[in-house]
Amino acid sequence: MNTTKKHLHKSILTCLAVVIFPFGAQATSDTSKNMHQLYEDNCASCHGSDHGGFIAPGLNSDTLKGRSPTALRTLIMTGSFDTLMPPFYGRLSDDDIRGLVKHLQTTPKQANPAWTIDDIKASIKVYVKDESTLPAKPTYQINSMDDVIGVAARGKYGRGSGSKAVFINSVTHKQIGEVSTGTAAHIIDYNPANPRWAYVKTDTAEIFKVDLYSMQAVRSVKTGFNGPGLGVSRDGKYIMAGSYVPHNAVILDADTLEPIKTFELEGIDPDGKMVSSDSGMIIGTPFDDIFAIALENAGQVWVVDLKEGFPVTKIENVGRHLHDAFLTHGGKKLMVAAYDDNIVTAIDLKDRKIIKKLDAGCVPHVGGGSAVEVDGRILGFGTNFGDCDKTVVSVWDLDKMEVVKQVPVAGGTESPAAHANAPYVAVDIISKDRRARTVQLIDKKSLEVVKTLDVGGHAYFPEYSADGKFLYVSAGYSGDEVVVYDSTSLEKVASVSMESPAGIFSHGRVRYMTRGLSPDEMKGAK
Amino acid sequence: MRLSVLTGSLILGLVSAQSVNAASIYAGQAKAAAVCSQCHGIITPSAEAPFPPLAGRDMDYLKTALKQYRDKTRKSDIMNAIAGSLSDDDIGNVAAYYAKLKP
Repeated sequence: MNTTKKHLHKSILTCLAVVIFPFGAQATSDTSKNMHQLYEDNCASCHGSDHGGFIAPGLNSDTLKGRSPTALRTLIMTGSFDTLMPPFYGRLSDDDIRGLVKHLQTTPKQANPAWTIDDIKASIKVYVKDESTLPAKPTYQINSMDDVIGVAARGKYGRGSGSKAVFINSVTHKQIGEVSTGTAAHIIDYNPANPRWAYVKTDTAEIFKVDLYSMQAVRSVKTGFNGPGLGVSRDGKYIMAGSYVPHNAVILDADTLEPIKTFELEGIDPDGKMVSSDSGMIIGTPFDDIFAIALENAGQVWVVDLKEGFPVTKIENVGRHLHDAFLTHGGKKLMVAAYDDNIVTAIDLKDRKIIKKLDAGCVPHVGGGSAVEVDGRILGFGTNFGDCDKTVVSVWDLDKMEVVKQVPVAGGTESPAAHANAPYVAVDIISKDRRARTVQLIDKKSLEVVKTLDVGGHAYFPEYSADGKFLYVSAGYSGDEVVVYDSTSLEKVASVSMESPAGIFSHGRVRYMTRGLSPDEMKGAK
Repeated sequence: MRLSVLTGSLILGLVSAQSVNAASIYAGQAKAAAVCSQCHGIITPSAEAPFPPLAGRDMDYLKTALKQYRDKTRKSDIMNAIAGSLSDDDIGNVAAYYAKLKP
């Protein structure tokens, strides 16, 4: 803790020195402070509070070396087409944009800033003091809470009034509530033990505890500066959150959001180097009282037991640059994607060891993953970020742990959706051209693409309603709507407007664990 | 002979005029998605953005404004640059597309 703080001080000094000296007498520490604040207020939620990159590229003296300041200024003014980068023309003055470019080109990537358990504790905000005053049941008409679908609306600028979690009744396709999150909502998770609670995590690592019955945030906590990792334990008592900045994870009380224990994320990577690591996916499982967390750079998966002292079992050499994962076999097996090895590693959470490494196309990004029973076997579907010569969706037999097929699709993909009652597995094409408007449908039986939907915007993150009758897709970026299709006829049936919608999370996931599995199979596999 | 040539060109003219009309909304949609929507959105711009909405605006107004931006009789650093990249057809298509949308 002390060393981290020392690092921070040192890095601020270096930063000041670098910024002050090149500009000589003209620049004061005030302008550098101002530029730093401008960066934090406008850029850091996507580009990383440490200038090291997050969901958008790192912006520092190293990554921007040799780039034309004029070109960078234009890019900030107009935004970058086919990406989430919005136009700052009219929002920032030309002087500020010029100042920012200079600041970014002279600022090195910052050391890991301190955000200790005390900082986390002090950041808790309480919006509803007495939760016993909350309504006992939903204040809107809904048959089952499983029918709730939550959408992470980013807002065009990743912050402001457009940034919120929007909740929709997936039977009527009408919005039933929304919760403002200040900065871009990224992940929505639901409490498996009590259907009224949802947890929304933002790109700036705040977690909002949301009461779905009254559609309002009751508490929030800031767990770091950037990072999407979020999981809820099977008993609904704990949340675990992980950050990119700083490199830590924390277990919170799911009720009060009080931090209980923090973990420094570091370890020996598959190449034998000791590294400090970003947090990848965090997942609670119906199989046991544990959390599993992927250490992206260290290539390790840690299994944390939810008992006295929260002991950690470290599984090493899982793969290079881990990111996301999904559960199968009653939550006993975890499939973890490794970007740089183009594999998905199957882990047995009972024995806490690697079962097998499976081929997974090109830069596998499995999103929430999908697993679905077809003709008596459980098939897993994995999408790929990469835009390689051959773009495929991998299909694995999760019983035998082997590759069944690599299905050719139109481009890079980010997230698959499947449902026991729906005939197709939907994948979002994200290649940066007109293909990004589309979602492709793979027939579960023939394992071939049978249809392409032109959704509009940058179409991504497909999700089925809990009953499997409807397919929801975000027409993100400039599409600004969530589009709903009939899962069988693939006719468009509804549209819900919001700014830059991204991830879609069905409350039904609590019951079927991984999208595509039926609750019965889940019980059967236990 | 002359009549048939005339008729032929008339028919050709009608066909191409029709296909231009039919194509314009679609071409306008593609152009709007690629160029205009980044700032103006399709239906509405961001609530946080300083840009005016275009959906449902008068087609002739949109055309005139874009042409003024293009020939710089109306000044705006950013719009002069963006409209400068549009052809007459692009302007007609984009204006037709946005004019047809319900705000």
